Amino acid sequence: MKPSFLALLIALAGVAFNSVHAAPDGAKIFTAQCAECHGPRGEGVPDATPNPLHGNRPLSGLTKYIVEKMPEDSPQDCAGEEAQAVAQYIYEAFYSPAAQVRNKKPRVDLARLTVNEYRHAVADLVGTFRPPLKPDDQRGLRAEYFNNPKLGDRKVERVDQQVDFDFGENEAAPGVGQEDFSTRWDGSLIAPASGEYEIVLQTSIGARLWLNNNELPLIDAWVRSGDSSQYRKTVFLLGGRAYPLRLEAFKSKREKTAAISLHWKRPHYIEEAIPAEFLAPRRGSEIFVVSTPFPPDDRSMGYERGDSVSAAWDEAATFAALETAGYIAAHLDQLTGSRSDSEDRRAKLHDFAVRFVQRAFRRPLSEDQRKFFIDRQFDASDDPAVAMKRIVLLTLKSPRFLYHEAHGGKFDAFDRASRISFALCDTLPDAPLLAAVANGQLETRQQVLAQVRRLLDDPRTHRKIDEFFHYWLDLERVNNVSKANDLYPEFNEQMVSDLRKSLDLFVHDIVWGEQSDFRQLLSAEFLYVNGRLAKFYGIELPEDAPFQKVPVDGQQRAGVLSHPLLMTSLAYHAASSPIHRGVFLARNILGRRLRPPPIAVAPTSPDLKPDLTTRERVVEQTRAQVCMSCHQMINPLGFSLENYDAVGRYRNVENDKPIDASGEYETLDAQRIEFQGAKDLAKFVANSEEAHSAFVERMLQHVVRHPILAYGAEQPERLREHFSSSGYSIRELLVEIVTTTAMSSGKSPTVASAN
Amino acid sequence: MSFASDRRAFLRHLGIGAAAAPFVLNLPSLGLAAEGTRKRRMVVVFSPNGIVPKNFWPDAQGEDFRLKEILAPLEPFKKDTLILRGISDKIRGDGDSHMRGIGCLLTGVELFPGNIQGGSHTPAGWSTGISIDQELKNRLQKDAASRTRFGSLEFGAMVPDRADTWTRMVYAGANKPIAPVDDPYQMFQKLYGQMKDRETLNSVLDDVRDDLAKVSSLASSDDRRLLEEHAELVRGMEQELQNAGRTELDHPVPQLEPGVKEENNNLPRICKMQIDLMVNSFLADFTRIATLQITNSVGQARMTWLGIEEGHHGLSHKPDSDDESQNKLTKINRWYCEQVAYLAQRLAATPEPGGDGSMLDHTTIMWTNELGQGNSHTLDNIPFVLVGQGLGFRMGRSLKFNNVPHNRLLLSLAAGMGHPLDSFGNADYCGDGPLGELV
Repeated sequence: MKPSFLALLIALAGVAFNSVHAAPDGAKIFTAQCAECHGPRGEGVPDATPNPLHGNRPLSGLTKYIVEKMPEDSPQDCAGEEAQAVAQYIYEAFYSPAAQVRNKKPRVDLARLTVNEYRHAVADLVGTFRPPLKPDDQRGLRAEYFNNPKLGDRKVERVDQQVDFDFGENEAAPGVGQEDFSTRWDGSLIAPASGEYEIVLQTSIGARLWLNNNELPLIDAWVRSGDSSQYRKTVFLLGGRAYPLRLEAFKSKREKTAAISLHWKRPHYIEEAIPAEFLAPRRGSEIFVVSTPFPPDDRSMGYERGDSVSAAWDEAATFAALETAGYIAAHLDQLTGSRSDSEDRRAKLHDFAVRFVQRAFRRPLSEDQRKFFIDRQFDASDDPAVAMKRIVLLTLKSPRFLYHEAHGGKFDAFDRASRISFALCDTLPDAPLLAAVANGQLETRQQVLAQVRRLLDDPRTHRKIDEFFHYWLDLERVNNVSKANDLYPEFNEQMVSDLRKSLDLFVHDIVWGEQSDFRQLLSAEFLYVNGRLAKFYGIELPEDAPFQKVPVDGQQRAGVLSHPLLMTSLAYHAASSPIHRGVFLARNILGRRLRPPPIAVAPTSPDLKPDLTTRERVVEQTRAQVCMSCHQMINPLGFSLENYDAVGRYRNVENDKPIDASGEYETLDAQRIEFQGAKDLAKFVANSEEAHSAFVERMLQHVVRHPILAYGAEQPERLREHFSSSGYSIRELLVEIVTTTAMSSGKSPTVASAN
Repeated sequence: MSFASDRRAFLRHLGIGAAAAPFVLNLPSLGLAAEGTRKRRMVVVFSPNGIVPKNFWPDAQGEDFRLKEILAPLEPFKKDTLILRGISDKIRGDGDSHMRGIGCLLTGVELFPGNIQGGSHTPAGWSTGISIDQELKNRLQKDAASRTRFGSLEFGAMVPDRADTWTRMVYAGANKPIAPVDDPYQMFQKLYGQMKDRETLNSVLDDVRDDLAKVSSLASSDDRRLLEEHAELVRGMEQELQNAGRTELDHPVPQLEPGVKEENNNLPRICKMQIDLMVNSFLADFTRIATLQITNSVGQARMTWLGIEEGHHGLSHKPDSDDESQNKLTKINRWYCEQVAYLAQRLAATPEPGGDGSMLDHTTIMWTNELGQGNSHTLDNIPFVLVGQGLGFRMGRSLKFNNVPHNRLLLSLAAGMGHPLDSFGNADYCGDGPLGELV
């Protein structure tokens, strides 16, 4: 029988408690002399010392205090070494801030919105007042071709998959004069991930591009001047959303030929003509994207969380509130459906304010709140537009907006709706969720389940899950991969961009495919490649072939762990790195905790030991006993991937020596597993309970941004079993995580103390 | 908006640093001669489509001359006025006369070939060089003693909402036209938005704290810590804002007439609002360089308030013999002159802050046009009328030159602002340097 995940945690945590056992005298003294008034674990005794023994004196200060003051009735009873021992025990067991944290029962602590959540929430808050665009499967842009240069006399209307044309001296479209003409492309740009997008317009003719702003062009190149033909602008876009886009161009008689292309450089990718999959022929409303920069969120626990506030964050939140207030003021007529001179202006603005504040707070307002946040502000100013500005500021600075579940009441169905929405989409609950709450239909597990399933196919959910896999696979580090040019001359930026696409397509195929099987993620024997990748990785495909799914030799490659992008990122400039690969497998895949290295060791350069293989070098370098406590786990895991060089190509020899890809792993219940190469490794991981538990925990923490134990000590094992019984369906796991965490408040363990 | 890394940067964001800056910057610098530190400002006012020469140019030269009908509004400032006839825009190359007229006026250099086709000549693109106002701005901004919050402000009035060669006069560099801000509310936001934001922010902070306290009182003790920390931050911000309020600007934020829409008949109100904002921005030392572009090259203002229904550009094509049209064009140009006179009057009526005399004693307005005359489209005899003592020219005169390139006048402006240049724009037209007759 294998130990439960919780037992595992306790076993691991035990390492940290070692020092406590090193002072047994202290514990005995405490029990004998102190526990009567302070409680057996210093938790306090109601009628004697109600406050727990928590504090922030340093150990020396605590010792001095005990020597001088304790026990209260006869301080001389505890002095010298005795006092030192008991002080050390108290300090380490429960007194010090670190001990307090360690002893705290995990719960869903108050958390503010993360930066990402904040931006999505504000976008949807403003979006409340604009018609939504329902996503559909149509791709490309609506195109119109006009027979004169002034966007008149339309001859052709069609859908163009991309804007990437070189018309030369020919007609741009049937019936359109080649001497002078004009065109318009219209629709949406779909941003898959959040980040900076560089938009590049290449044109030999006059052109103008509007993106997410129907009035002000992002690029105005209507006037062609001199040799200018390329225009670049960078915009920050939130992922999982479609932004209105319009491009107009005209050819004058002066220009002999016409060519125009619309490119982008999306986060982590190199520049390319915007592919059809990111263009849609229908156009929705402008989306307000807060551009104020925020300090990054804490990620020390492996997921972004909003557990702290800082002056920099408060200032950013203030600027963002001002920015939003300014935007709303500038679009007030359109958002409220009124004009500054219309009679019902004040009434319209008041209605707007009520809806705005309620949506921001994710719940209806009480009478008092309505007075405080809205009526008083309108009463305080003659100009309703000024009142509006104050309301927006006050709302966006309120903890009711900035924090999760900060309303002072009991956990309720509105909180449940928010949890579902933030977990899946990082944003405010949508209208159907709020309607379900209002109708009392978000009470049972079944009802929650139905809402979770409804939101599963929202593009924002897909974005969030994409993001999770990027975290899990540490792909964020794959930004500036550069490899030795002399060894891998064909491996360039384009290749890294292609590999990223290849991996994204692979993960998508598995996760959103029918099975959504975690085991397939690890062992599927196919890759997505285009001609360029195929050539480099020895797969037969025409050089200009677009991306497609191709079977691979299962002996050489299987699943995500041996994907060339991952192998490339877990490698040095000119050599593979079994240590990076081993650490990644231990931490991310098997969920093991590793301490930081006790001594700093620079990796041995291959030049210094040219006759050694990478494996031999690593063995030699980590031979010291102080290294081996972790490296005896890390190295053999990493060695199993030695068949992949620094750019993820399969190899059988290194330095004229055959590759030794044998590896091993000792499980938590002390079973020794041996494997030969990536396929064996993948097979082990796919069926390993440790890996399943680690995946469950990672996904839960990424999605809900709280520790798994906050939802109950039984959850790690319960969710792992659910994962197992659903055939390791990743999608079902997501559904179960969101449903479970929405049903359990996670706050019950702590009772609010009287003070 | 870049990330405010500390409190000081935060205050700077809210415009407080800038508001306090004049007090620091106005300290006399002992190392420089008095002339070197004298505050100098330059304004360019543009109106389009040429003038009516017979009703514009004074008959006499020198100090003893009579202002004709169009220039009559400048009568109160006659001794501050310098009228320059015989200066020509010699820049040729791509583009029709209107395009080159406005595009080369302040740049003194050719346009790029391009795709914008005018009525005749070849099509063109943007200017190949920087305009003199931006050149001077860059120089002023380099020196801490002359640096201001904006460096330059580009005002407009009823400039059509399209970016093309006819609508842009100011260039930050080759192919870098700067759009004038022709919406006074937008300009107000640019000048005072941060200050207004600060006021609004200040007005809600008490409520923000009350709200935080309320939520905090309802939270469990575990959760309260975070909210208390947050409340501390809000308190800190409130204090910073109050401290900042003490170093507040010493002139009142101007009150704009609300709800003036951008439409033809509002041109007079818009011009007045923009001029008022410009004077205020000088008072606050937000800038020492400003331009006001009234409409655009080929501008079609219909001055119905003068009883003229036709568009300006249409009228400007009528022949000299068409008395009725010439009469209307005279009225139109006189109206533009009234705008210049209003600006001069506002400056003359405002004492120079921290200095001697009025603001007009420290400012030179240059009123100009893209054409000499509308019906001939000539770039000869471009009207240049200077008002004010800012650049140290000898004013109160009417001068007549013999067809000299306007690049030399641009050099004179640079010299007058204390930044003499050897050449500007096309060096071929800079021959004898600044116009010696001006000083």
